[in-house]
Amino acid sequence: MQAYDLHVHSAFSGGTSNLEELASTAKQLGYAGICFVAYPMSKREEEILKAEIERVKKSFGIEVYLGFEARNRRELEELKRRRKDFDILLVRGGNLRMNRIAVQTRGAQILTHPEYERSDPGLNHVLAKLAAQNNVAIEINFREVLITSKRSRENVLRNLTKDVKIAKKFHVPIIVCSGALSHWMMRDPYVLASFATQVGLDLKEAKDAVTKVPKKIIEEAKERRSKGWIMEGVKVVE
Amino acid sequence: MDNGRSKGGRMKFNKLKILPPTLREKKRYILFQVISEEPIVYEDLEQAIWNQFLDTFGELGVSRLDMRIIRNLYCPENQTCVISCNHASVQQVIAGLGLLSRLGDSRIIIKILKVSGTIKGLRGVGNWK
Repeated sequence: MQAYDLHVHSAFSGGTSNLEELASTAKQLGYAGICFVAYPMSKREEEILKAEIERVKKSFGIEVYLGFEARNRRELEELKRRRKDFDILLVRGGNLRMNRIAVQTRGAQILTHPEYERSDPGLNHVLAKLAAQNNVAIEINFREVLITSKRSRENVLRNLTKDVKIAKKFHVPIIVCSGALSHWMMRDPYVLASFATQVGLDLKEAKDAVTKVPKKIIEEAKERRSKGWIMEGVKVVE
Repeated sequence: MDNGRSKGGRMKFNKLKILPPTLREKKRYILFQVISEEPIVYEDLEQAIWNQFLDTFGELGVSRLDMRIIRNLYCPENQTCVISCNHASVQQVIAGLGLLSRLGDSRIIIKILKVSGTIKGLRGVGNWK
């Protein structure tokens, strides 16, 4: 199984583990690639992060990508402007306004945890239709379940099940990520797929959510960063 | 006529007759490895698994998994262990194992090595004998 985890936080973005620990755990668990997610930062910090990523890529032999997570509209606009500087654009969900902005933004690739700290799923038929139109994937974040317990875990699971149901109905791509804040929070891809089956995906869809869907997102990201790419639907063919 | 008693008059049935293959529940064996900060003890692992499953799926849910942790297949060197369950609950058991994050003070990650229909099928995976 060629699996990818596209939402991993390192010490650069509020996590507790460094890039080596995360990459070595990913390799041990059998991932083909991971994406380190960071928040918009200063130019200097970004350069250091990119140099670290290059180093890790060489020493561990797995695919490593850099993603940025926009927390508000301003950050999203800024990240859209310099889209070629990084691989994957994620938008932090949970806030209804941000959920809406994310699904109607063509360049955004993943809406992370739309139900984050909410009592409702954070996704309805209107948002799901927009997400399908703009090809924005909805994330099932395993961390949400891992760090909660009892009543709050029940709430998260209920909301995730509703999100999956709506996303499936409108053919929105679904992606399962660990959302790890430390390398101890990373999970085996089989565990993530099995977890997805518990919130309403069938086994094939669940496997696709850790393999094919992230792979497609990565390919799209690579295309965006290629030389010939000008804008959505327009590229120079040699 | 066979009335379940031997000639001496004592009961001869201590064990149920084995069900025919068509009536048996299909089993699956899940081989997994525990990656931990510190070496773990089998008893702690067993306790943590049962507590986690009972918390997550409830008593009725766990009873439907038909789950057993096979003690004599635990390998302390590699920290690998085998769980058996019925074939329809494999995904649920793997998802439940993924929710284990601590064993006492030690943080852990569960790595699924193989799922097989027989114990023999698990041999040779991840240095497991």
